[in-house]
Amino acid sequence: MRGLGFLFAFLVLFSCASTARAQDDPGTLFAQATQALKEGRAGDAIASFEALADRGVVDAVASYDRGLAYATRVRIGAEVPGDLGRAAHGFEEARDLSRDVRLTDDATHALTVVRSEVARRRTRAGQPVEVDPGRSLARTVSSLLAEDTWAVLAAASSALLALGLFVRWLAGAPRWRVACGVVAGVAAPVLAVSIAMTLAARHDRLVLREAVVVTSSARPSDERGIALAGATPLPEGARVEIVEARGPWTRVRFGSIDVSVAAGALRDLAR
Amino acid sequence: MKACLLFLLLAAFLLVPPVARAQSAPQLQAQADVDTVGVGDVVHLELSAQSGEGMPTDPQPGATPGFVVRGQSSSPSQTHISINGNRIDRFGLTVDWALLAQRVGTFSVGPPTVSVGGSRFAARPVTIHVVPAGQGPQRQQQQNQNPTPFPQGFSPFDPWRGLFPGVDPGAQSSVVTDPRLALDAPGGTFYFLHAVVDNPSAVVGQQVTFSVYEYLDEGAGAGIEVDPADVHDPTAAEFVKHPLLRDDQEAILVGYASVAGRVWKVNLVRRWALFPLHAGDLVIGPMSVTLLRPRSAAGSKRATDLLHVRVTEPPGAGRPPGYALGDVGHFSLAAQVTPRDLEQGGAVGVHVELSGKGNVPAAMAPPARPGVEWLAPEVHEQLGSVGREADTFGGKRVFDYVVRVHLAGDVDLGEVSLPFWDPDQKRYAVARATLGTVHVKPTAAAPASSGDGPEQETLPGLPPPREALEGTAPSHAHPDDSRLYWLLGVGAWPAAFGIAVAGRAAGRRMTRAWHARRASPATDLKERVTAANAACHGKDARAADAAIAHALEAAAIAHAGVSVRGAVGDEVVHRLEDAGVARDAASRVAELLRECEAARFAPDAADVLSARDRWLRAQGAIRQLVKR
Repeated sequence: MRGLGFLFAFLVLFSCASTARAQDDPGTLFAQATQALKEGRAGDAIASFEALADRGVVDAVASYDRGLAYATRVRIGAEVPGDLGRAAHGFEEARDLSRDVRLTDDATHALTVVRSEVARRRTRAGQPVEVDPGRSLARTVSSLLAEDTWAVLAAASSALLALGLFVRWLAGAPRWRVACGVVAGVAAPVLAVSIAMTLAARHDRLVLREAVVVTSSARPSDERGIALAGATPLPEGARVEIVEARGPWTRVRFGSIDVSVAAGALRDLAR
Repeated sequence: MKACLLFLLLAAFLLVPPVARAQSAPQLQAQADVDTVGVGDVVHLELSAQSGEGMPTDPQPGATPGFVVRGQSSSPSQTHISINGNRIDRFGLTVDWALLAQRVGTFSVGPPTVSVGGSRFAARPVTIHVVPAGQGPQRQQQQNQNPTPFPQGFSPFDPWRGLFPGVDPGAQSSVVTDPRLALDAPGGTFYFLHAVVDNPSAVVGQQVTFSVYEYLDEGAGAGIEVDPADVHDPTAAEFVKHPLLRDDQEAILVGYASVAGRVWKVNLVRRWALFPLHAGDLVIGPMSVTLLRPRSAAGSKRATDLLHVRVTEPPGAGRPPGYALGDVGHFSLAAQVTPRDLEQGGAVGVHVELSGKGNVPAAMAPPARPGVEWLAPEVHEQLGSVGREADTFGGKRVFDYVVRVHLAGDVDLGEVSLPFWDPDQKRYAVARATLGTVHVKPTAAAPASSGDGPEQETLPGLPPPREALEGTAPSHAHPDDSRLYWLLGVGAWPAAFGIAVAGRAAGRRMTRAWHARRASPATDLKERVTAANAACHGKDARAADAAIAHALEAAAIAHAGVSVRGAVGDEVVHRLEDAGVARDAASRVAELLRECEAARFAPDAADVLSARDRWLRAQGAIRQLVKR
């Protein structure tokens, strides 16, 4: 009899432990989330996707589906304030993380849909419709190539510049001197640009922190947290660069605007 | 027998008013503001009634054994919501009875009742303990006043005390001290403040009970008065603060303490429920007051210490989906859906009641389903101190939703759920309330029951979801993170070229310097002297004289800076004198040059010995040029 009791207690404990393990398993959570998303249970899907993120899972598909879950909640009329911003956050994160071109395209398309809705609402409210001011010129150029490609280009142009100068220095024949002068003349600006882009890309990788506005009105404030008079709230779903995080306030750059907003109005993009 | 039973059922059916059968029961809740009072104290019995059928009327407290009803106040409220022609009404009534305790004992008061639509509904009775006068937890201080002709002093936490001057009975030697209130040393003479938290480590959202006690020296024999204009409350910016004592509540005598051999009267002046907002080492600032009396301590400050609370997040393991950081406590959910039958496109009212103790969430996530639209809820709350010692924050929040249903048929509304961390059990739990199914009749005007009514307009064209994780990209080292890349990969080539160019230029400069050094007058003189020495050791006298003449000419250039080559007669002397050479030395050089020239070009054979003699004299002349 006592043996049966022990066996029963063991089975209960084992089943409880198994349930807890299954609840913590990212694969199980993801399966629950996608199932809820397919069935239209957006709230349950969001809860599972957020639990997945809480467990430190950084995955392009998880971010993309999380964005879809928030967007679905808006579609079915159960919108919670900030859902559009959180949807945009998921899609932006998926775009950054993904190596799959089709997923990147889908995330970009979904992002356009969400931002169009935000722009439509801002138009109704009489606010500026600019939701995505784009990146700066330097950041756009540096993102044309991968950081490693810029690095290799810098090394190659450095070698070419030195070679051209050597040969031009040592060569006696005028045609050699002219040819090597041209080579060095081309390699020098390429070297300067590629070094600058390598450093910029490295800085972005190591230092740059970006976030997405996840509230319907992130009101700009000054450094003391006092709302700026007449300032237009940052648009929901906007991607901003974090300049400095100071307690409950975060200084951000949005296009040419440099303001502080409440930290809770932002959600960091995973790298 | 069967006929009798049928008769009874029929009679019961006819006796129950038809309205009462048709309507649902209102929600009633009765509670007392305290559960223990002293004889002569007043306790407030509150009844809250909510109904969707009609306004609750005619509130009655029910039986009040041991108490006398001293007063009654009522607060009715109405909420009307109309959507698409569907009207939802909610009527509320809150009644407060003041009951005066008359005798010792434990009494069941009530049940209080209200009438709705002609039917009377009852809440649950409330149990109240009545203790002898003066032993009630919050009224003891007033009972202890003992009039005397001398003022006792003033406390900002007990503003009425000054109106009844008297000696505080706490000063009597017969008081019993509470060891839990004892301290190692007093924080000041006559009076000091002492702050404590019940738990120095907590998780985000867990209640930390913060209490401030004032200690008054019972043996000082002098009135103690605190400046009411200079009382500064503690700061707790990193917490959500809820007072557990009413703002206008008197300071509560909690007992007597023995501190450093003296008896101190201890009053509770502040009690807050603090809920940490984030993880970290959070600080609760000091509370300070300034003493006015006794005169010997007038103007002196009394302050509590800084308190630190170490706050962490609840464990990530086992955290249920949907858990929001800060949802900590112990909660339960109840829900009510009315009506259950509606037409397509119509609305139902969903009444969700969240109750419990702890950091009661201010918002709920409704179960989002296709074709079911949840409008923003109307929220009511009854929050405050709960528990026997009133040291826990809690109560209830009521969320009244209007839910539009665009689908036809039996629509499952799902369930509302709230995951929370239970700090007592140290585990997560989920409070749930099932909403059940509503029956929706299709209408011709409503769209087809596809559930895609509202989403045709909002966010069209979203791409499909993915069903497999992509996986994390393998991290790799970047070449530009290495110093070697910058030194060898980028910098080495231009540096090598620069070094080559610089090296070549340096070599040229060294060659030029070498040549310049070789062409200097001093070097020339040295070479000429060496040549003269060599010639004088040989057998060719003419060559020796020529070498001596060249050495003298080189010495004139090196030491006097003037060339005497080609000068004839006294011109050598003039040139040397013009260059600052003494006449005697100049004359000797000129004489030797003449002798050398004569010997070199004499027709007779030259004498080597004479030449050696001239070289000796020439060396002396050169030294004279050096000494100049």
